[in-house]
Amino acid sequence: MRKAELIEGVVLFLCGGGTVALSLEMPLGTFRMAGSGLFPLCLGIILMLLALLYLANLLLQKDSKGHSGEAAGARPGAAGQMLLFFGASALAVLCFNILGYPLTAFLLMLLLLRILGLKRPVLLVTLPFLTAAGSYLLFVQFLKIPLPKGLIGL
Amino acid sequence: MVESVQQLFTGFGIAATLTNLLYCLLGAVAGTLVGILPGLGPIAGIALLIPVTFGLNPTSAIIMLCGIYYGAMYGGSTTSILLNVPGETASVITCIDGYQMARKGKAGPALAICAIGSFTAGTLAVFGMVFLAPPLAQAALAFGPPEYFSLMVCGFIVLSNVTGGSLIKSLMMAVIGLIIGTVGLDPVTGEYRFTFDTTYLLSGIEFVAVAIGLFGIAEVLANVDQPLENMESGILVPRFRDLYPSLQDLKTSFGAILRGAGIGFGVGLVPGPAPVIATYASYMTEKRISNHPDDFGTGVIEGVAGPEAANNAACQSAFIPLFVLGIPFAPPTAILLGALMIHGVVPGPMMITEHPDVFWGVIASMYIGNFILLLLNLPFVPFFASILRIPKKVLLPLVMLFCLTGMYTVNNSINDIWLMLLMGALGYLMRKRAYDAAPLLLALVIGPKMEVAFRQSLMLSHGNFGVFFERPVSLVFLVATFLFLALPAFRFMIRRLGAGARNEGGSG
Repeated sequence: MRKAELIEGVVLFLCGGGTVALSLEMPLGTFRMAGSGLFPLCLGIILMLLALLYLANLLLQKDSKGHSGEAAGARPGAAGQMLLFFGASALAVLCFNILGYPLTAFLLMLLLLRILGLKRPVLLVTLPFLTAAGSYLLFVQFLKIPLPKGLIGL
Repeated sequence: MVESVQQLFTGFGIAATLTNLLYCLLGAVAGTLVGILPGLGPIAGIALLIPVTFGLNPTSAIIMLCGIYYGAMYGGSTTSILLNVPGETASVITCIDGYQMARKGKAGPALAICAIGSFTAGTLAVFGMVFLAPPLAQAALAFGPPEYFSLMVCGFIVLSNVTGGSLIKSLMMAVIGLIIGTVGLDPVTGEYRFTFDTTYLLSGIEFVAVAIGLFGIAEVLANVDQPLENMESGILVPRFRDLYPSLQDLKTSFGAILRGAGIGFGVGLVPGPAPVIATYASYMTEKRISNHPDDFGTGVIEGVAGPEAANNAACQSAFIPLFVLGIPFAPPTAILLGALMIHGVVPGPMMITEHPDVFWGVIASMYIGNFILLLLNLPFVPFFASILRIPKKVLLPLVMLFCLTGMYTVNNSINDIWLMLLMGALGYLMRKRAYDAAPLLLALVIGPKMEVAFRQSLMLSHGNFGVFFERPVSLVFLVATFLFLALPAFRFMIRRLGAGARNEGGSG
């Protein structure tokens, strides 16, 4: 845990450093007439200082107490399931314009339900169909918000 | 004052039109559902439903979005009482005595007192707003850029200090939010910053994508990580005839509701997660002044009435700094600020005069909304509770699909969805590593205002930083900031001194 916290501190320090480096490429001006880079430069420096303070605090602690995150409540295999869930959602975004909204919504729901362990075939088809149809009617027909039509042209 | 009351009646005229009543009802119902369902909180709920309001006039849109906010706060209490699962953080305190009451077969009176307490506190808060907002707006007209900058700095520090986690971590998140807020057009010189030659970043980072990602997607992913069993086995749904509290219940709760309303209203005016602090403060107050403090935690009605009243009053008074100063002090009001600006309403001291219809219409609608919630929640408790029977394995994909679709509808942009997913992954990791997302979101929304105030202040003072300390109001905010920053150090020193004294006592 302590190693992870140290990595976090270093990453945040580097984020601050990156902001400073990019800000220096912009006009800084003076405090009287600040350029576009001055404010982000100040923020980058503050982030670096805070990250240093965080790292110093970690190094000064005699022993690691662990952290108060939520990892303790995770169940076995949950991380893989979560990654699949997230990956399926990302895949749906890739297919959004190609397949169109109704088909993507149907396939995404089908995939996500399956990933989370729904096995009954009737539900696996009915639920995605109803969701895709319902959301299509709400957004496209009722709210008149255009969504990608894709292959099926709906 | 007479003028304010007249304006309030005009507001009631606006809020009571059939269209606005319908949107108020829709907002309250949607908010209650958002509050009840795990996987969505008020922040993601409001952000997701912003696109639904695009076709509406600003007043109807804000009435609906506000309805979602206080509806969600109310819905959260229902799950706290029936299931011991707080729908959102402000309902954690309600779990303590609310669930114990439900276990004793008094879920009905607990829910009824929640509704009555929320309605009473909401009513008092509306009157508080009517009398406080106009003079505060008048005073805010005297605020210059240094005062605004110091106030925003103070807001960040207070929010970072009271969110419960590490102060340094929260401050780092706030700074990252401010950095993200600088992406796009420089508000003063008009130059582009951190756009990396992409057209997508020219207009800055879409705050709705960040909000839904950090609070919606991250919540869904965190839920996938948890056991997915259904929750229905633990639900203690009362029958309709058991919903009415006894006269004794009402008598016992009366004082707690009034005290809760006062505490909540006061806490809502200051920076920080007001409903959370208000419910905690109210609970501690009730326990301290009670004749039977040891009974708290075993199902005492004051332990439900006070915090619920405080929660509702804080939610509503939090609109005062938003409307009057144009500065949100908590993430839900930050999202509402974004929604107001999308609809062309810029909150601030001039809002009362420039958009009286929106200002007074929304205030009046809050009163109506509370009444709707009172009517809606009591008879429909069994229905809302039955929604909890939807298995998580069905609910989570639905929320994910709604997030993706909702995000696309904001700008019809696939890039927004990618940004939302990226923020979702970041938010998930932040949860795992105990980083609070609230300071980041708030900083993102008010960052550009803060930068403008900072640069204008220095322009006015010819680059002299003394301008922040020479003006009394600004100085007060900075002193408060310093005190809040020093508070953890003082606590640490006191603890060390106490431990040292104990050690000496032990060895002596």
